[in-house]
Amino acid sequence: MATEERRSGPDGVETVDADDVDAADILGSAIERREDPSLLTGDAEYTDDIQLPDSAHAAILRSQYAHARIEGIDTSEAEAMDDVVDVFTAEDIDVPGNLPTAWDLDTLRTVDHPVLAEDRIRYQGDALAVVVAEERYQAHDAVDRIDVDYDRLEAVTDPETALDDDAPVVHEEEGTNTAFDWEIGDADETDAAFAEADHAVGIDVTNQLLIPNAMEPRAAIADYDDSDDELTLHMTTQNPHVHRLLLSGVIDHPEHKLRVRAPDVGGGFGSKIHHYADEALVALAAKRAERPVKWQATRTETYLTDAQGRGHETHAELAVDDDGTIRGLRVDTAANMGAYLSTFAPAVPTYLYGTLLSGQYDIPAIHCEVSGVFTNVPPVDAYRGAGRPEASFVVERIVKEAADAIGMDPTELRRHNFPDPDEFPHATPVAMEYDSGDYDKTLDRALDLVDYDEFRERQERAREEGRYIGVGLSCYIEACGLAPSELVGELGAGAGLWESGLVRFTPSGTVKAAVGTSGHGQGHDTTYAQVVANELGVDYDDVDVDEGDTDALPQGMGTYGSRSAAVGGSALVQSARKVVDKARKIAAHQLEADPIDVEFEDGEFYVAGAPDRSMGVQDVALEAYLAHDIPDDIEPGLEATTFFDPDNFVFPFGTHVAVVEVDPDTGEIEFEDYVAVDDVGNQINPKIVEGQIHGGVAQGVGQALYEGAEYDENGQLVTGSMQDYTVPKAEHIPDMETDSTTTPSPVNPLGVKGVGEAGTIAAPQAVVNAVVDALEPFGVEDIDMPLTNERVWRAAHGNGGDS
Amino acid sequence: MERDITLTVNGTEHELSVEPRTLLIHALRDEMGYTGPNVGCESSTCGTCTVHVDGKAVKACTELAVRAEGSEITTIEALNEDGELHPLQESFQEEHGLQCGYCTPGMVMTAAEFLEEEPDPDREEIREALEGNLCRCTGYQNIVNAVETGAEKMRTETAADGGTVEGGD
Amino acid sequence: MEFDGTVSIEGVTMDEVWLALSDPVMIKQALPGCQFLVEVEEGDVDFDALAASAPDEDPPTLPEASPEDIAERAFVEGGRYAALMEISVGSVSPSFETVVTIEEREFPHMYAGGEGSASNSSFEMSSWMDLVETEDGVDVEWGAEADVFGRVAQMGQRVINPVANRVVGRFFDSVESQISDVSTDDSSGLRDRVSGLF
Ligand code: FES
Ligand code: FES
Repeated sequence: MATEERRSGPDGVETVDADDVDAADILGSAIERREDPSLLTGDAEYTDDIQLPDSAHAAILRSQYAHARIEGIDTSEAEAMDDVVDVFTAEDIDVPGNLPTAWDLDTLRTVDHPVLAEDRIRYQGDALAVVVAEERYQAHDAVDRIDVDYDRLEAVTDPETALDDDAPVVHEEEGTNTAFDWEIGDADETDAAFAEADHAVGIDVTNQLLIPNAMEPRAAIADYDDSDDELTLHMTTQNPHVHRLLLSGVIDHPEHKLRVRAPDVGGGFGSKIHHYADEALVALAAKRAERPVKWQATRTETYLTDAQGRGHETHAELAVDDDGTIRGLRVDTAANMGAYLSTFAPAVPTYLYGTLLSGQYDIPAIHCEVSGVFTNVPPVDAYRGAGRPEASFVVERIVKEAADAIGMDPTELRRHNFPDPDEFPHATPVAMEYDSGDYDKTLDRALDLVDYDEFRERQERAREEGRYIGVGLSCYIEACGLAPSELVGELGAGAGLWESGLVRFTPSGTVKAAVGTSGHGQGHDTTYAQVVANELGVDYDDVDVDEGDTDALPQGMGTYGSRSAAVGGSALVQSARKVVDKARKIAAHQLEADPIDVEFEDGEFYVAGAPDRSMGVQDVALEAYLAHDIPDDIEPGLEATTFFDPDNFVFPFGTHVAVVEVDPDTGEIEFEDYVAVDDVGNQINPKIVEGQIHGGVAQGVGQALYEGAEYDENGQLVTGSMQDYTVPKAEHIPDMETDSTTTPSPVNPLGVKGVGEAGTIAAPQAVVNAVVDALEPFGVEDIDMPLTNERVWRAAHGNGGDS
Repeated sequence: MERDITLTVNGTEHELSVEPRTLLIHALRDEMGYTGPNVGCESSTCGTCTVHVDGKAVKACTELAVRAEGSEITTIEALNEDGELHPLQESFQEEHGLQCGYCTPGMVMTAAEFLEEEPDPDREEIREALEGNLCRCTGYQNIVNAVETGAEKMRTETAADGGTVEGGD
Repeated sequence: MEFDGTVSIEGVTMDEVWLALSDPVMIKQALPGCQFLVEVEEGDVDFDALAASAPDEDPPTLPEASPEDIAERAFVEGGRYAALMEISVGSVSPSFETVVTIEEREFPHMYAGGEGSASNSSFEMSSWMDLVETEDGVDVEWGAEADVFGRVAQMGQRVINPVANRVVGRFFDSVESQISDVSTDDSSGLRDRVSGLF
């Protein structure tokens, strides 16, 4: 790393102890997280930590082949083993057992996705049989003793080949691998724009398949009580209510007799949103055995089954004038959907991708066509960023190419096409209306931090010395907090995308907040408590936050798409305000004043003009529950629930800049600098924001330089363990300098935008642009991700770096 | 084919019967209930299962339980003493060196052993020392900060005590 | 995965090498982890029965064995052979139940195809071999193409390639040393008897 000295950059925001923060400042303070002590001492409870009495262990047999017909499954040897409790295959279950897709498109071919493969294998992760045994090892031993007779079929793994006429067909009955064809924008207008523009620049980009790699593998433990038909599932989930709903249909168990609970969850990044076969199988196993059954995926199993991300092959063209004005953009993408349509899969390469292709720019005409394609790889669905990184990658790569083509500085070309801050809300030709933005500000700040002007001179001097440094920009836009529900329904969602928040005073004046989101590392207990404490004017420590349990909360939608603060946080704000309104009436009654005259500030109600006639909200809570002396038209109790359905998405934005040095002789890339300037609207806790950016950037750098799920020509995953799939290590990730601007969102009462995915969306193209910039003297225009030493070396030596 | 063994974990002796192939991590978690160390890869890559065996950071997914007989094993559960967080645990919280926390017990145990040997490392040395511990959430920067800060705290404590710091071992 | 190579053996004749490489017993001994290698009929192979009936000790190979005996048991074109091969890959040691068919066998060329399966893993392969006479002996030119499936494949090429190289390497080392034995031990006029067979 270039940065050896610790400097102000890597230190970042300084945290404070909540006790040292004035109540009035709690919102926006970088307080230490309250969830940390339990996570730091081993007290945390992840799914596999749960030990229920008399529980058995399940193991699941996966396929040897990526594509095959099943001729027979012989489980007799496994069944005969000591300590094996149960073995079952598709033949043995009589529930619908079909995993649903919760997003529809006009042309979508919905295909069956059985929880246990019946006669056909479509990817290696397909489950063939479930073994339940007394102990973990025995279950795995027994799985090895199941004999499957396969008839292997040719496999196909990349979407472009899968569209060839002679490609093996994944879903035979469909007769084609096309899962859907989708388009957005105006083709004629775009053609016209190209006809008129001075230049057209084209690129072909691959956005490789990635494995999400939450450090905690997926796991579930199911507990069934026969006497009252209650089924409880503790599982690694980002959205317990969604899982409950889907699971209830899949295993035909009444939803109100089903409880889904997320204990501590060790990361998700999208991979724990989707409904997989496994949790349904564990639930079925527990019902069959009438005892608790636990399952945890091995790492290899997660690699074979967790929905993967990205997987795009794209050709894009940009129409641009001599002065840098962008006239139009045309994009054609083949998107790998994998073997089946995972839960929200159809939305990812369409409404989360095509709609973001305007980037930060004012582009008059855009047309985008996407083919979703079935292949013999695991289902592809949302992975951190989900569609938006792919879009931003296309836009930021082609903008850089265009700048090079017309001989304009890439920062100038970008700036030339930004909408003015007073042009917001800004409508794009791909159906979005950006809420607020000031793109010059983040760009300027970032360029300042890397000393851009000086850099170009330095680059010149370095080249003369035979050293190759490069700078890469990424001016990204993100859309999060998908909403409103009515709109997403029109777009095909099988769900609404509101969020619930409950705020409840206890009689003694402390507060319970419950939210339908389900954090798994984001620090929700801390940030939601900051939000609620601020609204109610109570002490931060008096607020406790619950999440992740269908039995303990109102209905919820979960945590993904950077929506929790914007939608869940806003639901809490509204509930807190309802609570204050009710408390105001009770306080007014107690203070013998008209509610209109009662003001509320810092947790105190007081009569306007008579501040000594006052009552704390926590005392009001007691009165509300005593109900001895409250207004006649007011019910006892003090709580409120809100289902918040925002009017629009929120659109965070920012500029990331990577500065790298490339050694053309070895292909090695070293970071000199990485600067991230993000505008995520108001910040509830700047330290947590910083952490989200860091982690996001690391995953983006991982994609740019190291990661990729690779399959051989038979569809066998060859990056099947952590020894083969490079999850970046500490040495791989540079120290970053993070900074921010604040453009509040008008869409929600907190003015927040969302930050969970920003880094992952921004980073890959910043890094690739930097490497390409460094290798400009070698005539390098493009290198496919991941930029391994070999690919970089090849590119610098002019032999097929981009193949 | 099970074997009776005695393992000393966090100062407590446990008698258990395990198969010869039982991994230390599974003995700790499934048999003895020490669920602080986690399983992330079963291939000695991720470090989430890191514990101390006789004071050395060891990946418990690559060690057989029977081979740990007679050793002193320390898990994250014993790093804090008398309800007080270990300086490293404190600094992980202060520096926001954890998000989901799944890698954290392993990270902290690896860092604790490393700082015993190198009480005043620079950032690059810290990154190298953590090469066997993967974190998918934090991007490592705040972990490196936490180890730096923790080192500082431990040095101060050592200076104050005139002795060595090693919580729990 | 594809492998190929050339093994040069000095001081031997084409006939000797051909005969040695035609001997299932010698091949069995040269293959690391091979429990047995026997000719089988068409149809399902009962590996348990074969394992039970496999002799504890192998009959002698060249130079002890008589060339006539070897010619008697030599691979034949169209012949089908079953083998049980235990191969350690990473932390696992699957036993592959393998069936090989000699598709072509015409001096000095052999081509065989086969497949093996173990619990949760399998492979398919084809391999060929040509003998080429050189100034001081014989070059065995060989190639193999293999597809690996299931658990072993998931271990990735970084794990599998060295294993495959190890198996191939040991095999040819062993073949080379056995054939060299033949060439140095010419006391009984073995060479004449071998060539007399062709
Ligand atoms: S589980 Fe032990 S190193 Fe990953
Ligand atoms: S904090 Fe989640 S893996 Fe490190």
